[in-house]
Amino acid sequence: MRIIAIYVIAMVVLAFNEKDKLTGRWQSPPSVTGSVTGVVFKPDNTFEGFVNKKPFVTGKYRVQDDLFSFTDNGCNGAEGIYKMVFFSNEDSLRFEPVSDSCTERRKGMSKLVMGRVN
Amino acid sequence: MKAGMKKGSVIILISVFIVLLISSFNEKSARKAATLGELLFSDPILSKDRSISCASCHIPGFAFADTAAFSTGVFGRKGKRNSPSAMNVLLRRNLFWDGRVNTLEEQALAPIENPDEMDLSLDSAISRLKQNKFYNDLFQEVYNIAPSVQNLAAAIAAFERTLETSDSPFDNWKFSGDSNAVSASVKRGFELFNTKGKCIQCHFGADLTANEFRNIGLFNGLDLNDSGRAVVTKDAADIGKFKTPALRNVALTAPYMHNGMFKTLEEVIEFYNDTKSVVGNPVNKDSILMNPLGLNAEEKKDLKAFLESLTDKRF
Repeated sequence: MRIIAIYVIAMVVLAFNEKDKLTGRWQSPPSVTGSVTGVVFKPDNTFEGFVNKKPFVTGKYRVQDDLFSFTDNGCNGAEGIYKMVFFSNEDSLRFEPVSDSCTERRKGMSKLVMGRVN
Repeated sequence: MKAGMKKGSVIILISVFIVLLISSFNEKSARKAATLGELLFSDPILSKDRSISCASCHIPGFAFADTAAFSTGVFGRKGKRNSPSAMNVLLRRNLFWDGRVNTLEEQALAPIENPDEMDLSLDSAISRLKQNKFYNDLFQEVYNIAPSVQNLAAAIAAFERTLETSDSPFDNWKFSGDSNAVSASVKRGFELFNTKGKCIQCHFGADLTANEFRNIGLFNGLDLNDSGRAVVTKDAADIGKFKTPALRNVALTAPYMHNGMFKTLEEVIEFYNDTKSVVGNPVNKDSILMNPLGLNAEEKKDLKAFLESLTDKRF
């Protein structure tokens, strides 16, 4: 019983930690054309994506362990699931597709590498 | 070991310095080119009778769009499509309503030669600029060579690349996280834009366009007979398709659509709400618009409020 309780607590703590690691503003370095892509992950499990300070996508997300699941206002409500990969002292982030039927989004997400801004 | 690390650090520092120097030089060059481009954009020197400039049809105060359904070119000639806004074009993959060119440089030259617009051959345009001491000197200063077709296009394109806007109430709400930047009506309008209004299916992206071509039902082969994209692709499936326009500053860019047939945003919303009630016999209309949206009066108002929230604070 105690082992199960410890396991549950550990999972909850881990889940919260993963989410805490994600919450905040992230953005990519400028692309060859100078465009900067970014995302604000909010504590209320919503996010706003932007390009060159222009909002372009809005959605809701869930974090479980290292998996990031979300829906947004594009892609006809299809859910995307990606593995979050934090690196460089956890100040950098990229996503590896696990499942996403939205081809364009999958292409964009796979290329996206962002650094924490705040 | 220590000496090696020191040497490595020095190399990194020098590299960073060189990169910063190059990037600062590039930025400075782009700024100078844009300044020259802005002068050219507003100068009638590029039209046959020296009566109009790019800014005549892309009026700065109206988000660089025209207020007429069809712009007036030299000798009072009328264009065949509505002049779209020249703002927020940095992320466009295709330009003109039919997407016939892919770069701003190509786009910048086309109106100069178009007989219905400025009707001036590029050779004549370059010759005029070379004979004009002011411009000849400026081109030398910016590009280190005399005016040419390439640097004329580059200068106008550089100016157009500066016409980005990202400080509207909508941006302040979504990008800056200021939930008081917009009204409740705007927020409801944005929700409708994404759901019942189906707008997002074509107007998705940072400038609210997915950069695609769509037939929204304004082609019937009779009185509405502009084939649009099909003229470029030679594909019958593209008949009546036009580039989905960006919506930033849309409240300032009336009239709307490729033929400027709607004078207000209300008319546009009424049209989308039930396209058949406006054009009853469309050909090749997009399936997204097959059924009426069923928006009520309040919802239409909210949608309009959302569209108005896309107006940048510079206006």
